[in-house]
Parts: sequence; structure tokens; C-alpha cells
Amino acid sequence: MIVAAFATEAGMREAAAEMRRGDNGFVETYMAMEPGGEDEAAGSILPAVMLAGGVLGGVGGFLMQAYATTVSYPQNIGGRPDLSWPSYVPATFELAVLGAVVAGMAGYLVMGGMLRLYDPVDEAGCMRGAMLGSYVLVVRAADSAGARRVLARHAPVAIEEVAG
Amino acid sequence: MSAPAVIAAGETAQSMTERICAVTLREGAGRWTPLWWWAAFAFSLGMLGVGVISVAWLFYAGLGIWGIDWPVAWGLDILNYVWWIAIASGGTFISALFFLLGVEWRTALNRLAESLTLCAALCAAIFPILHLGRPWFFYWLFPYPNTMGLWAQFRSSLVWDFFAILTYVLASILFWYFGLLPDLATLRDRAGGAGARLFYGVLAMGFRGSGRQWRHYRAVYAVMAALMAPLVVSVHSIVGMDFAGSAATGWHSTQFPPFFVFGAALSGFAVVLVALLPLRVLLGLQAYVTERHVDVLGRLFLTSSLCVGYAYLMDAFSTFYGPDPAERTMFVLRVFGLYAPVYWGTIVLNILLPQLLWWRAVRMTAPLVWLIGLGVLVGMWLERFQIIVTSLARTQMPSSWGQYTPTIWEWSLLLGTIGLFLTAFLLIVRLMPVVAMAEMRAMLRGGTA
Repeated sequence: MIVAAFATEAGMREAAAEMRRGDNGFVETYMAMEPGGEDEAAGSILPAVMLAGGVLGGVGGFLMQAYATTVSYPQNIGGRPDLSWPSYVPATFELAVLGAVVAGMAGYLVMGGMLRLYDPVDEAGCMRGAMLGSYVLVVRAADSAGARRVLARHAPVAIEEVAG
Repeated sequence: MSAPAVIAAGETAQSMTERICAVTLREGAGRWTPLWWWAAFAFSLGMLGVGVISVAWLFYAGLGIWGIDWPVAWGLDILNYVWWIAIASGGTFISALFFLLGVEWRTALNRLAESLTLCAALCAAIFPILHLGRPWFFYWLFPYPNTMGLWAQFRSSLVWDFFAILTYVLASILFWYFGLLPDLATLRDRAGGAGARLFYGVLAMGFRGSGRQWRHYRAVYAVMAALMAPLVVSVHSIVGMDFAGSAATGWHSTQFPPFFVFGAALSGFAVVLVALLPLRVLLGLQAYVTERHVDVLGRLFLTSSLCVGYAYLMDAFSTFYGPDPAERTMFVLRVFGLYAPVYWGTIVLNILLPQLLWWRAVRMTAPLVWLIGLGVLVGMWLERFQIIVTSLARTQMPSSWGQYTPTIWEWSLLLGTIGLFLTAFLLIVRLMPVVAMAEMRAMLRGGTA
């Protein structure tokens, strides 16, 4: 695995683009702020996961209230029908929001590859700078010598090779 | 006149990161935690201790130690709950609503504002539980299968409130923590000591700033913000419905849900200003929390005060336009009766005092804005007293009228929650980055401010 640090975001992006064009294996960028451009446009499945969590929370909440007040424990309050659905709306909304937010967080832990406190990429010294302002590119290539040559053309600040 | 900048000239992503990390990690010359922090922390812990004693005595002796009785069965317990939950709203308005609007001044404020939300929501959540009388049975509010065959009463706004507070507290914690992840990773990689690296490393949960992590991060944060904005409105609407759903004089009003949202915005902006103005000096954040922020918050503060003023006017109008003589009697007694100082205190502190913010010179004078913010926090507490106590004390039946005087145990509980709020906030200020560094870097992308 080759880890290269760049002084600018543009330098890292150009190197990443060339590595991807040349089909040099797995390429990933690391930086301390949201990337602009292509990475941002690539999209995420998580809004759909959050929608599913919200629907699950809302529908589940509504059905729970309907079951409680019509089947499990019906009460006649002021002559209102057992299925007083307008009264269920506030708790349904709250549970829908809760379902969506929890699904978002849980989905992020999975999709973002989180909870991995150690990763072989951490062995590279320049990774310590990734969240401090450096722009780091990680390449897992079969032809590591060729990949190094390509990266060297983009004037990296540092270039290292680590196992993994 | 051009507006002041949201970041001081010459600031870069690097200088900003160094400054904010230095505050949290105590690097360089400011290696030791400053004396003002220890003094404030000791003071807060003292107040929190008073609250712990108050709660311990409450558990031992029961609700009889409070001044609540018939007809004023809701006293400082519910008053303080409504006051705290309103204070909590400011962070969500700034962090979620203004994120969706894409305003850049929000970036330097959102972390502090969200932290205030968490601490205030924590204080608010305590009161309804203590108010139950047998707080150890609070879990009966949860809808769970039980051997008694009982369910919560889902047609009651008080149960809606349980769901609202539960969702608001949990969602606020997750939204705050999710926003912190990149900054925790920055602190992990910058920390010098092994203990600090382990602490921030575990909290960062493996965030490394990969393209994949950022892509999903942006998507989840945006959806969370889009959910938090209506959530905060729903929470305060439901708090309003706790009252409006009752037939008590002064409560049974369709304007209560928006009225409570206006009040929440006013309290929320007040507490953000009261906390922010001293902290930007004490932590040396003037380059990131500039005069522009103070100016904008002052304008929002004034706007929310005008909204609350409109709600007060409509309250008076609908009372006299409506057919109920008990409502009119109660309103006259509210304005001229035993609790008149509370009513006029509310008007002066919440409506008249913030009018000073029309003048830019006042908005730009930090001590004045701070005093106005503090005045509004007191005013909003008085407003809650006015709504809860005067309404219950002057019911439809004059034979049922009564009086309410809070006891020392209710005051000490209020003091205790102020201590809890300050203690929790000071710990966050000490241990967490006070400015959202990753968002600031994106704003400073490609050069200096």
C-alpha cells in the first residue's frame, strides 16, 4: 500500500484522477474537510436509509398506538372513537424523526467504515497529518513501482509504502 | 456601511486549527487550564451540590416539601421545565435551521450553540420526572408490554410531550456528536499525550477523513439538519399544547403552540449571546466569532422579541374578543392583581428591553447585549410563572382561588439545575473543540479569510 501526502487539494486530486484513469487498483483520498467536486457528487445511500428508518419509526409508532387504544386497552374518553388517529400524529412524527436519526447514525457507522480504531494505513507517518491539513492519497496497487512513478509526477510532499 | 467579516483577515485553515486545538489540548503557553475555568467550575459544582441535596430530600420526604397544592398543582417544577426546554432551542435553530439556509456566520457558532442545547435539554428533562411524585416509576411513560396491561394515554398532550422530549434529547445528542466526529479525529492526531490520543481516538470512532467517510458524512448531516429544524418546532408546539389542551383559564388558546415557539427562539438566542460574549474573549476566539456574529445574533434576538410581543398582544386581544368572563377576570388580575409585578416584569424584560437592539451601537457593545440577554432569560422565567401560576391561581370558580409560594426546596432545585447546566457546559468547553474546525476549514478552502 502506497501512501502519498500532497501540499494542496488540487495536487492530490490530480494524482488521484490519474491513478484511477490508469486502473492502478484501489485509490482513496484523505483530508481534513469535505472534498469538493467529484467525491461530493458521488452520492450516498444513507438518505434513503434514513427515510426507511423514519418510515419504520413512524409506521411502527402509529400501529403501536392503534393497537394499544383499540385492542389492548380501549378506553372511552369523552365519547371519542377508540381509533382516534389525529391524536396519534404527534407521537408518530416524533418516532419517525427518532427512527430516521438513529438509522442515519447507525448507517454511517456501517457505510463510513467506522469503529475501526486501527487500520494498516495508520502505519504511514503522513497519515497523522490527514486530519490536520495535509492531503493524503492511499493506493493499493498490484504494480507498486509503477504506481510510485505516477505519484512522483505530481510532486508529493512525502511518499511511503506500508504493509496492508 | 459594509458588514464586518465572519472571519478576521489573514486567518487560514492552519492557523484556525492550531488556535482551536490549543484551546482544547492546552498547548503552548496556555498549558494549564485557566484560573477562570476552575473558579467557574467550582462555583457550578457548588450549585449542583445544592441541587443534589434538594433532590435527595425530595426523594426522602416527598412532594409535600414543595409549595404546590390545589389549585396551583404545577409550580416551579413545570415552570423550570418549560424555561429550560425553551433555552435549549437556540442551538438547534442556529445549527439546523441556518445550516439549511446556507448562512456562513453559523459555522463558528454552531458547536457552542449545540452544546448549550444539550446542557439545557438535560436540565429540562429532570423536572417532569421529579414532578411525577414517584419518579422511580417514570418508565411507566414508556409504551412497553407490562403485566398490568396498561398503556400510556396516547390522546394526552402530556404523553406527546414525553415522546417529544425523548426524541429531542436523543436526536440533539446524536446531531451534536455526529458533527464532532471530524474534529475529534483532528484532536486525536494532534494530541501529544497517549491518554489524550486514546480519549479522542475512541470518541472519533475511526474517522480518518477518507473520501468515502466525507461523502456519507455530508449526506447524513444534511438530512439530520433537515429533521432537527421541524423537530424543534414540534417540541415547543407540543409544550404549548400541554397547556392549550387544558380547560384552565389563560391556557385554552389555539395560539399557544406558535407562542411557545416564539418564546423558545427568544430564550435560545438569549442564552447563546449570554454564553458566547464572555467565552469569545476568555478563549481568544475573536478572530472566528467576530462583530458580524454579535450583530447578526442581536438582530435575530430583536426579531424574536417582536414575535413574542405580537403573541402577548394577541393573547390580550383574544381574551377580550372571546366570550368567557373568567378569562377576562383572570387577565385583569394578571395585569393589576397580586402577581402584577410578574406580568410587568415580563413585558419590560422580554419586549421593551430588547428594543434597544434597534441601535447598532447597542448591538456592538458586548456588555449591553449581555445584560439584555440576561434580562430576557429572567423575563422568560417570569413569563412562565405568569402563564402557569396566575392561570392556576385564578380559576373559573372564585371559591377555588388560591395562592402559590415556592419553598426553599423548589428554589434550591432551580439553583441546582443552573449548576448542572454550567458544570456540563464548562466540561464541554474544556474537553471538546469549541468551534467546528472541519466546517471552518471548508469555508477557508484555498487560502485566507
